[in-house]
Formats: sequence, structure tokens, C-alpha cells
Amino acid sequence: MSRVKTAFLMVLGLIWLAPVYLLVVNASKSVDGYDAKTVWKPAGFSLFSNFGDAWSKAALGDTLVATTMYSVIAPVLAVLIGAAAGYAIVVLRLKRGFLWFVFIFGGTIFPLQMILMPLFSGYANSGLYDTRVGMIIVYTAISVPFSAFVMRNFFTGIARSVFEAAVVDGGGLFRIFRSIYLPMAGSALAAIFILQATFVWNDLLLGLTLSQSDSVRPIMPALTGLQSTYGGASLPTVLAGGLLVSLPTVILFLAAQRFFSRGLALGQF
Amino acid sequence: MAPLFGLPAAGVVALLLYLPFLWTTYVSFTQYDGLASPVWTGLANYKAMFSDPDLTGALVNTLLWVVGMVTLPVVLGLLIAVLTYGHKWGTWLRLPFLLPYAISGVAVGVIWGFVLQPDGALGQALGFFGLPGAHTGWLQAGPGNTLMMIVAVTWQAAGVNALLFVVGLQSIPGEPLEAARLDGAEGFSLFRHHLWPQLRPITTVVIGLSIVGSLKTFDVVWVMTQGGPGTSSETLALSMYKETFVLNDYGQGAAIALFLSLVTFAASILYLRYQLGDAREQG
Repeated sequence: MSRVKTAFLMVLGLIWLAPVYLLVVNASKSVDGYDAKTVWKPAGFSLFSNFGDAWSKAALGDTLVATTMYSVIAPVLAVLIGAAAGYAIVVLRLKRGFLWFVFIFGGTIFPLQMILMPLFSGYANSGLYDTRVGMIIVYTAISVPFSAFVMRNFFTGIARSVFEAAVVDGGGLFRIFRSIYLPMAGSALAAIFILQATFVWNDLLLGLTLSQSDSVRPIMPALTGLQSTYGGASLPTVLAGGLLVSLPTVILFLAAQRFFSRGLALGQF
Repeated sequence: MAPLFGLPAAGVVALLLYLPFLWTTYVSFTQYDGLASPVWTGLANYKAMFSDPDLTGALVNTLLWVVGMVTLPVVLGLLIAVLTYGHKWGTWLRLPFLLPYAISGVAVGVIWGFVLQPDGALGQALGFFGLPGAHTGWLQAGPGNTLMMIVAVTWQAAGVNALLFVVGLQSIPGEPLEAARLDGAEGFSLFRHHLWPQLRPITTVVIGLSIVGSLKTFDVVWVMTQGGPGTSSETLALSMYKETFVLNDYGQGAAIALFLSLVTFAASILYLRYQLGDAREQG
């Protein structure tokens, strides 16, 4: 029985890996050496020159810089803003704290479709459209509710006496937040950061709606552009682009798997 | 002093999420092209959603997505979880299924668009094994194209669901299970009578997440077919984008968005009840 189980899982696993195999093998073929009739057969290794093509021809280079910026800055801001909210609600016992919490967390319930059009109009009118600052602002806002949710739960687990002792020691509320509560929350902050950085990196819809130039447009909309401008002939370039943009999140995922499973259980994705 | 720490979060959420939400709600009852002032038209946009053939097509496709996503990846995820849980190499056997989850929807679309090309990788594999369908144009007609894209997203999502089910399995106390085993329960009977009832809460979460996720289906379709050929594979999330940013019919786009939000909200209650229930007990 146990052997049947293992064999079944291995066969299913191989089927699951087949698309990954196809991606790597065909992204490695030279543009001239690619033959649509033999996609299962490996042929040559031009992966890095295809990366190079994707990088320069499709201007993925510019967009990679911009996207990296968004994926770092927005989650950091969201983590701090969310932590401050959690601190206010739990530690400082904000009046009607639960209402504040529901209000902030409620921001994630409706789909992005609900805010796209007003954001587009608002950004166009205020000069934020197609700017890096604009992208950072919207990614931060989207990430705040989840961050506040996790931080509120985390701070709930910290003994009240920690706060009381800090007050007796004469620390101001801001200093207590910065030098006692934030350092204690290291692992929770890291978990939120990783999940939100992945979300920002993988975003298509906001990037598509709120940006257009190569230096502002995030990586995923840029990749869809790459796919439509190139014909079937240079499929290896498109696939190399797909592989290139997937590497950071795959590596991050493998390195921090437990954070992901925790985030999942919280219903983030 | 305390509100000062809560204000940045509440402010940014109010300004960038709630305010747009209210504006979209208002616009959904109007005729609006983004330039002239909105003109109140009552429920006209909503009626169009259920009579315009393109939009009803998208509605049916979205329904297909919901049904597809609460069955295929959920059943597969449960199967993978139950088979790998407690297995010596469980973590390693699960890895192939988890890998696609780390890939973005856009990349999934690029990969599967390639796999499903006419006479592409899938066709060649079928031909190699002498199976029928080697020359099928997988993405060239509805509703087949939607079904194939559901397969693509199943490839991405099954592992995540498996992971969630494993978390659920881990929370089941071991002793009653041992007792059941000693009483002779095993295999499917052990699963049916002892594991499944305890997996109910996590199953609710998985199904809730699947519904919410499938209603928002955009990335994979945008990359693989752009909703075509024609509008044959369009989902409501895609129609919303096209109506608004391609056809400049902001009112129609807004009505689709609000409709999606209401259904999403109803589905969210399914699993948020658990989460907020927990939060309330704690705080």
C-alpha cells in the first residue's frame, strides 16, 4: 500500500514538473535552434544570451530595477504602518479598538477591480500616474491591512507587564514602540515583508492600470508586453523572460517556505 | 496619543481603498466615460450585465472558473495532503506541487500558453503516446479554452491547497486516531470517519479562498487568450478591465466590479467568520 502511494505521488509529481522542464529546456534554446516540432528535446544551451535578449530588447532591465524598488520599499512601509496600528489597538488599548481593526482589515475584502478606475482617474488628475512614487503608494496601501492584521495578533501575545514596566522606566510611547515592540516582532515583520514583497513582485493589474513607461512599469505587465510584441520565432526569449522573473520568488519561496504556509492559513492569497 | 499610531493605517486605507470603493459604487449606477459628468441611469448597467451576450458569456465563464477551482485543485490538494502526511519523504514528495505556487500568474500564463500551442508540447506528448487530440487547438474555442486555463491554474494552486490541508491534518490530535487504528479502521474508512470530520474547518477556508480567487481570475487569461478568440474566454474581471480602460464605459465596468465585490464578500464571510472569530476571542 505504502509503495503504491509513493509510486502514485512520484508519477503525479513528474507530471507536475513537466511544464517546468519544458520552460527551462526551451528557454535555453538559441532563437535559431528552436524548432516548434521538437519542444520536448533539449538542444543547446543559450539560456544566458536569451536572458540578455530579454533584458535589453524588451527593456526588462529598467523594469527590474523599478520592480525591485517597489517590492522592497512598499512592504517595509506597510509593515511599519501596520505595526503602528497593531500597537495602538492592542498595547495602547485604543478606544473602540476592534472597530478600528475591522475598518483597516476590511480594506482587503473587495477585489482590486473595485478600486482600479478611481485610482486611475485620481492618479491622472494628481500627476501620480506613471510615476514610481505613485506605484509605491498604491502597493503600500494594499499591503497595510494584512500587515495590521498579523501585527495585531502578534502583539496580543505579548504580556501586558512588558508595557507597564517600560512606562515605569519612563519611556515615551514612540520610543517604547521603536525600541521594545518592533525589535520583539522581528519574525512576524519578516513574514509580512516576504509575503507582501512577493505580492508586489507578481502584480499585473495595478501595474497595467497605473503605469506605461519602461522605467515605471513593473515586471509582470512588461513581460506580457514582451509576449505580444514577439512572434513565435523568438519564443525562447519570451520563455527566458518568464523564467527570469520567476527566479526571485521561487528562491524566496524555497528559502522561507514556513512563512508562506503561515500566511496562507491567514487567508492572504 | 494612541489614535496617532492608528491613523496612518486607517488614513491610507480610507484614501486609497474605501474612497475609490465608494466612487465605483456611485459610478456603477451612471453612464460615465471618464470625461463628462456621470449621468444617473439607475440599474441600466446591471441589466446590461445579464442581457448583453458578451457579458453573460463572461458571467458563465466566471461561473465555470468558480466550479472548476472549488473542485479540481481542492480535491487534488486534499489527495496530495492525505497521501504525503506522515509519509517518510512527505516534504520532498510535496515539493513538485508547491513549486508552481511560487510562480506568478503571468509566468503560469506564459508557460501554459506555450504548452497548449496548437501541435505544441501537449499535442506532441499525446501523439507520442498514440492518444487522440494531438492536433486540438486547445485555446481556440470556448468553453474548451476556459477549461484548459482552469487546468493551468490547477497546476499552480493544488500544492497550496495541499499545504493548507497538511496544516489542518497536523492540528488533529493523534491519540483518538491511534485508538481508531487499533479498532481496525484504516484506509478510506479511517479517512471518512476520523480525518474528514476534523478537516471541516480548514476545508471551509480552502473553498472560501478558492471561490474568492476564482472570481478575480485575470492574469492567466490576460496572458493566454486576452479573453478571446472574440470574447469566448472572457471572465468578469477581464470584462471589467476592457469595459473601463478599452471601451471607456466606466459605468459598465463599475457595475461589474461591484457585482464581483458582492459575490466575493459573500464568499469571504465563509472563512472570515473563522478568522475574525479567533481575533475577537484573543483581543
